[in-house]
Amino acid sequence: MTELSASLAPTLATGRRGKPSLVATLWSRANLFTRVNLGVFALILIMAALAHWIAPFDPDAQKLLARLKPPMGFAGANTTNILGTDQLGRDLLSRTLYGLQLTMAIALIGSLISLVLGVTLGVVAGYARGWFGGLIMAVVDIQLAVPFTLIALVVIAVFGNSLPVLIITIGLAGWEVYARIVRAQVLATARMPFVEAAVAAGAKHDRILVKHILPNIVTPIIVVWTMTFSALILAESSLSFLGLGVQPPTATLGSMVGLGRDYLASSPWIALVPAIAIMFVSLQVLLIGDWLRDALDIRLK
Amino acid sequence: MIKTLLSTLALSIMLISAASAQSLTVGVQNLPPWLDPGKDFGNNGSQIYYNTFDPLILKDYSQPGAVFKPGLATAWESLSPTEFQVTLREGVKFQNGDLMTADDVVFSFERILQDMTPEYAGIHRQFFDNFASVEKIDEETIKFTTKKPEPLFEILLNTSEASIVPKAYIAGLSGDTDAIEPSDFDAFMLKPVGTGPYAISSFQPGENLVWTRFDGYWGDKAALEEVTLRRIPELATRVTALANGEVDFITNVPPDQLATIAGNPALKVVGNVTPLFHIIFFNTRNPSMANPKLRQALSMGIDRNLLNEALWGNEAKVPNTHSYAQYGELNDTESQTFEYNPEKARELLAEAGYDGSTIRFDTDPVYYTNGLLAAQAIQEMWAEICVKAEINVTTKWTGPDADMQVRNWSNPMYFADPAGSFGTMWSPKGSGTEMAWTPNEAYPGLWDKFRYSTDIAVRKEAYGEIMAYVKEEMPFVVLYQPYESYGMRQSVTWAPQPGHIPYVLDFRAGSVTVE
Repeated sequence: MTELSASLAPTLATGRRGKPSLVATLWSRANLFTRVNLGVFALILIMAALAHWIAPFDPDAQKLLARLKPPMGFAGANTTNILGTDQLGRDLLSRTLYGLQLTMAIALIGSLISLVLGVTLGVVAGYARGWFGGLIMAVVDIQLAVPFTLIALVVIAVFGNSLPVLIITIGLAGWEVYARIVRAQVLATARMPFVEAAVAAGAKHDRILVKHILPNIVTPIIVVWTMTFSALILAESSLSFLGLGVQPPTATLGSMVGLGRDYLASSPWIALVPAIAIMFVSLQVLLIGDWLRDALDIRLK
Repeated sequence: MIKTLLSTLALSIMLISAASAQSLTVGVQNLPPWLDPGKDFGNNGSQIYYNTFDPLILKDYSQPGAVFKPGLATAWESLSPTEFQVTLREGVKFQNGDLMTADDVVFSFERILQDMTPEYAGIHRQFFDNFASVEKIDEETIKFTTKKPEPLFEILLNTSEASIVPKAYIAGLSGDTDAIEPSDFDAFMLKPVGTGPYAISSFQPGENLVWTRFDGYWGDKAALEEVTLRRIPELATRVTALANGEVDFITNVPPDQLATIAGNPALKVVGNVTPLFHIIFFNTRNPSMANPKLRQALSMGIDRNLLNEALWGNEAKVPNTHSYAQYGELNDTESQTFEYNPEKARELLAEAGYDGSTIRFDTDPVYYTNGLLAAQAIQEMWAEICVKAEINVTTKWTGPDADMQVRNWSNPMYFADPAGSFGTMWSPKGSGTEMAWTPNEAYPGLWDKFRYSTDIAVRKEAYGEIMAYVKEEMPFVVLYQPYESYGMRQSVTWAPQPGHIPYVLDFRAGSVTVE
């Protein structure tokens, strides 16, 4: 007994002094590459958020007589348009910044919708089990079997082509992944001794869920969130590319690629600039997600 | 042995190239969902009908003027101002082998004049409103009678809508094989048969169409053995398909792409100013668009010359009014119906009490060359006069919708007379008028004065008055005549003929060669 107390003592003492925050722990585990990556990503998020102040031009302002100007450094470039102009003489840098902002916002809100929906249904399915849990998992299986683009086409055909519809459609894209993983985690956690202890102590279901189960499954949720976030950026881009997203002239990265594809042979920068932005951002999010998965994985500690 | 192999190879290459010289694959931007020249005045169908169908009267399409030539009729004469008689060509065969008879000719017109389907009724109102009856006098003679004196007989009998179709074949397509039923017309739309030099041997609506040379054709044999049309709506895909040899010929190439195609030594481009106006029109019946001052302001807010310079490299043609040079003496060069005047536009908006509410501008993503770009440019031009517009990109045809406010459209020249373009669209029974405009009570009288007078000076004066009324009412704005280009392999010799209506893919003898 004494031995046990002695070995526990330093840990408890550290705990009292203030446990290092999750962010600080993660940062300490990041290597240089990851730190640079995180820094650049934060910078991109800030740039997207501040697009209104840092974009050199109004993204929708046309200069019809300065159409199809190449980026700086190429023959015929306009000095004021660093990344060139598009088919209506709009500044590509400004459009890319605004497009990045909207694309990130859509992916962010969409991913939060799918997170809340998926986690709630996953917890219910895992904790309540029974026929209701089975029904939820059946819906998950059905959604996994139907291609997302098809679902998006139907939703947009029924509810029309607008920003809220797009965000909700994106939100519907990823919930099933959360539901599956959260259900499995809840099933496993619910059988842990500390949960059984709580049940034995007479704790109510809501207390058990919120105090005991959810904190223990936060890590996989964060990892899934980062992994699906880049998929949502691509989903938004695909839908906008297909013309199912926001209406012109509003720019998202995907719609810029979509409307620029006719000019791939003659003025490739119109599609390439937003396409590179999509590639860069989704790659970064993927790398960060990958790192988070490793950093938070208890088995790799 | 090797020698034999080589010579066989050489021979087969020669045979293959000889065979391929007889065929052509075309990547088209659009293909219609059905085909029947009597029902259709759309730009998609216009591409097709001339190769497969003949009207009674043909013309010399190599020139813009109206030099008529015998078609399925060998002779025609006016018996009186309201009676017109034609003599039919003998021995003409339909592509299914049936001999063309006087009954086929009468039936071809009766299906339109008796409004056998709503689409025929539309063509009746917009093209043949003046026609009272069509009678068979004997096996070679047909007599047309009109309600009022008809100055445009030959022109109307030359239209694609007046093409001759086989009665017995159509009757036999469904149900009672001896009777004409509505379902017969539905079946005909998918298996159309005419007397022209190319039979439609395969038609997948909206997807592809194959023309095969019709050896029983009464005139010069078709230039090619086989022509395949494939719908490739995406411009980039169409251009790529041409560059990699998947197709030999593509339609609807906007000016931005000309340099790319012309820069490929295997390819070339030909183009022309098309006898068609890209327009935008207002739903004057929608309360938000009911004030003519608002519509005038929107018209004055559009800098059409800037659109031409920026989007068409100044190759398009910006007209002062709804009139084509092809009208000859009737071409209205005096009216100034449409002008750019942003200051006046702002004044008019204030007078109209425009409250800043958003105006929805509908456009298809690809149908009109540069259509979406022009819509966005106009949106920006309207923002300059403080009008808020939102672009609604939709593949749905919203023209007749009650909530439509503004949308783009085209007014092709169906025949070289104001009645053949403004008339089909904006006369009292015109298609645009039916959809979106309610002119005043005096308008039908003014229209009839223009339409049925036989005195050119009276017609010209009346058309000027009509344009003055249009300027006041502003139900539409003519943007420009687009410069439409076609891309093709160097081995193809083809050019749009100036006597045709827009978009006709004329592959008849003398119009195309493939080396």
